Amino acid sequence: MSTKEQSERVELLQGTLDLLILRTLQLGPMHGHAIAKAIEFRSDEVLQVEQGSLYPALHRLIKRRWISAEEGTSENNRRAKFYALTAKGRRQLAVETSKWGKLAQAIAQILQPGEQEEA
Amino acid sequence: MKRRKRMLADLDEDIRDHLERETQDNIDRGMSPEDARHAALRKFGNVARVKEETWAVWNPVWLEQLFQDIRFGVRTSLRSPGLTLAALTAIALGIGINVGIFSVLNGLALRLLPVPRAQELLSVNQILHFQGRGDRSIHNDSSWFSYSEYLDYRDHNHVFDGLVAYEPFVEATLRGSDMRQVMGTAASCNYFSVLIEHPALGRGFVDSDCASRGANAVVVVSDDLWRGRFAADPSLVGKEIVLNRTAYTVIGIARPGFTGTEPIPSAFWVPVTMQPALEGGRDRLSNDNMSWLAMLGRTRPGVTMQEVRADLGVIAGRLDQRHTGPKRTTSLALHAATFFSSPEQRSTLIPVASVVLAAFALVLLISCANVANLLLARASVRQREIALRLSMGAGRWRLVRQLLTESLLLSLAGGALGSLIAFWSFTRIMRLVTSHLPSGFPPIAVNVAPNLQVLVYALALSLFTGIAFGLFPALRSSRPDLNTAIKGDGTQFGAGRKSGRLLLDLLVGSQVAVCMVLLLAAGLLLRGLYQAQTVDPGFEIKGVATIFMYLGRQGYDQTRATQFMRGFRERIQDLPGVTAVAQAECAPLSHDFSAGQFTVPGHSGTVQIEYNHISPDYFSLLGIPIVRGRSFRPDEAHDAPGIIVTESTARRLWPGQDPLGKALREDSGREYFVIGVTKDAQVAHLGQLDTNYLYFPVGPEDDSRSYVLVRYEIGFTDVAKSIRDSAQSIDPDVSVDVGRLEDYLEVWRAPSRIVAALSGALGALALLLCSIGVYGMVSYSVSRSVRDIGIRMALGADGAQVMRHVLWQAMRPVLIGGIVGVVLCAAVSGVLSSMMFGLGTHDPIAFVSVPLFLLAVAFVATFIPGRRAMRVDPMVALRCE
Repeated sequence: MSTKEQSERVELLQGTLDLLILRTLQLGPMHGHAIAKAIEFRSDEVLQVEQGSLYPALHRLIKRRWISAEEGTSENNRRAKFYALTAKGRRQLAVETSKWGKLAQAIAQILQPGEQEEA
Repeated sequence: MKRRKRMLADLDEDIRDHLERETQDNIDRGMSPEDARHAALRKFGNVARVKEETWAVWNPVWLEQLFQDIRFGVRTSLRSPGLTLAALTAIALGIGINVGIFSVLNGLALRLLPVPRAQELLSVNQILHFQGRGDRSIHNDSSWFSYSEYLDYRDHNHVFDGLVAYEPFVEATLRGSDMRQVMGTAASCNYFSVLIEHPALGRGFVDSDCASRGANAVVVVSDDLWRGRFAADPSLVGKEIVLNRTAYTVIGIARPGFTGTEPIPSAFWVPVTMQPALEGGRDRLSNDNMSWLAMLGRTRPGVTMQEVRADLGVIAGRLDQRHTGPKRTTSLALHAATFFSSPEQRSTLIPVASVVLAAFALVLLISCANVANLLLARASVRQREIALRLSMGAGRWRLVRQLLTESLLLSLAGGALGSLIAFWSFTRIMRLVTSHLPSGFPPIAVNVAPNLQVLVYALALSLFTGIAFGLFPALRSSRPDLNTAIKGDGTQFGAGRKSGRLLLDLLVGSQVAVCMVLLLAAGLLLRGLYQAQTVDPGFEIKGVATIFMYLGRQGYDQTRATQFMRGFRERIQDLPGVTAVAQAECAPLSHDFSAGQFTVPGHSGTVQIEYNHISPDYFSLLGIPIVRGRSFRPDEAHDAPGIIVTESTARRLWPGQDPLGKALREDSGREYFVIGVTKDAQVAHLGQLDTNYLYFPVGPEDDSRSYVLVRYEIGFTDVAKSIRDSAQSIDPDVSVDVGRLEDYLEVWRAPSRIVAALSGALGALALLLCSIGVYGMVSYSVSRSVRDIGIRMALGADGAQVMRHVLWQAMRPVLIGGIVGVVLCAAVSGVLSSMMFGLGTHDPIAFVSVPLFLLAVAFVATFIPGRRAMRVDPMVALRCE
């Protein structure tokens, strides 16, 4: 089922799954399986998401009222639960994204050899 | 929570749906259906764990664990029912008695006044500071207000919807068949409307009732008085009743249960402007410098305490400036309105309450020590279970939490049980105590029923208790040496170590000491009671009626009083069945004392001598013999120089000499000469023979306030009735209070009886708890050393030796605790004996019997498990566990 070599796949950092779910739902309401697929697809299948771990995360987000869950019908006319971003979740996404940006930048700065080190 | 339920209910379906989609995707990519399904499952991960984790999102782990712990705790407790029962009993008793006492204090001091919306009421008090000597007159309470001050506060504040003032405890004679004394209140005319206490019948006061001084004689009577005296006659409203010689129109009957705003119930309320008429011409209304009115204000909605303080402070400052004489500053004390809210009342109540609460906290302490012991004992049995769990990786905190949950379960169950018992029994105990108060005591309206405060106190106490007795065993038993514990070597576990042993001994020793103090105090009090009941006061107390006449308070001047008394004594002298009549300033044992400073000529310094003014037949009536000299003659009065002293007084003042003719000089310089000596009698203080005492002849000055003693030979009720009749045949409005001399003895005995009964119960409780504790500790220590004993026996020690060992181990802390207890109690008994009649400071019987008794209990508690230990088969012991 995998199209890439196992070694190229990256385990998710703790806590980033929430951010990914929020970002994914920005595209519109989705059911659980579609979210997993979307994350995989959008990361060029680099990110390894154990699909089951999606569910505790989804419930955690529902409990915080960042997303909501609604009954709906999927493309092939099956009943499914659709998850959608709430207004609160949208605000949270902005906060988390900027936090993540800062974090990534900081880590990159540390990991990349600085000029002082070369001198 | 609905959201949570719905989300979790759909979880299974969602996961199934997810897996189906993934399988379908895989099939679409060309896998066989079976492979596709496996791949989907692999990619999904552990379904059970996912469900569990999702579940945990909604149900916090700690909550789940708490339920686990509770279930486990209940199961463990039920597995050792004897121990659980003992622990529950100890906690229930300890908490119950504390909650009961607190509910009494709550009823006295914390409960809001029993009127509607009482939380809005503030008690306003003032403390006056004078520069130099203050010149304030005080009636009842120094933190109260004068009438003009009240009007100022009432008319110029911006924070109260209404401010009332009242003078409580006004005594009045109610004219009627028995001329009864009743206690009432003079209140401002907004009293009923501000308190929202509309009378059940008729009306309360309106402003016009107070419009002019002394003009509106109206009265509201209490429900009790209405039922007790007027047979609940509904037509009483509109009729007139006579209080202290003034006729008042009844305008209302108060709601049943409304007894005023003081702990002593009020029987009637009159407008404050009637005060001078009500109190025999003493006009407090126009005295601007007298504290006599208590104030209660109903705060406006939304007004804070600071605003009240600031607003009233302005008025107080203005009053200070207007005050002439020494410069004064007023500080205001504001409290939620309760029965005891004036600073003066608080300052007496708080120390008493803390002493009482401390005494009862000691009992709770014993309970806690006991239960800690029992739990330690149980923990030692469970050491293997605990060690196993620890070795399998259970966190220590998790274990402590579980053990604490168990002890909290115990304490909450015990606390609930104890509180229920307390709520049930203390209302009854209060009723018993108040109904056994001697007739002289005013009735007190205390509501001891539980309210929110009491429940919170009970809950807090239970939680505190659970942590107090549970924490130590929990910490201790969750830190065993795993190796030895799993091997089952009991002696190495927990308390087996030296420090643990010491701690355990300390627990037992301190609980024996505390118990000893309580028991000894109870023993002393019971001995005191016994003496109070059996003491011979030294005069004939039976068959004597006493009549207290305070004519000065009933509108008599001295001439009229003397006239009345002469006629009165003559008339009762002639009554059938009366054999003797005497008059005295103080009746024997009536708690009326007079004392003065005297000098003996030829000696330096003064002696304090108690005295009484008596008529000549006083001694013969009471059967007190004159041993030397003579009694007074009827013509001797205050101006006569003769005095009579008691034997022991004479011995002390003139040792080895003939007292007759000896002189005593009063402070004023006047000299008196001894004309007679009487035998000693306990006329002033029951139980004290060594008071200096002398007698002066009675004179006309005494007539406005004195006692008349009557010896009778027929039934008391008949005599009392004919005495009242003869008084009222002279003056129909006079109030006569006829009692029995024996009843005064009751007043002396009542406090020691009540205290002895309470402390006896407390001591019995302490003994019970202490016995449980010692027994539990000893059986624990014996069960712990079963292996030890087995080895000793196997090596050839004989039973007696083992027994001695066990006994010594267990009795050592008991002995040490006992000695400490006796020493502590010797200190305490000094305080007790000064408060209670009949207590010797170091009563030998109490001091010997109580410790012996406790030792015997400890011995039995040791002996029974000790014998069990002796009978242990060495092989069994060695293999045990």
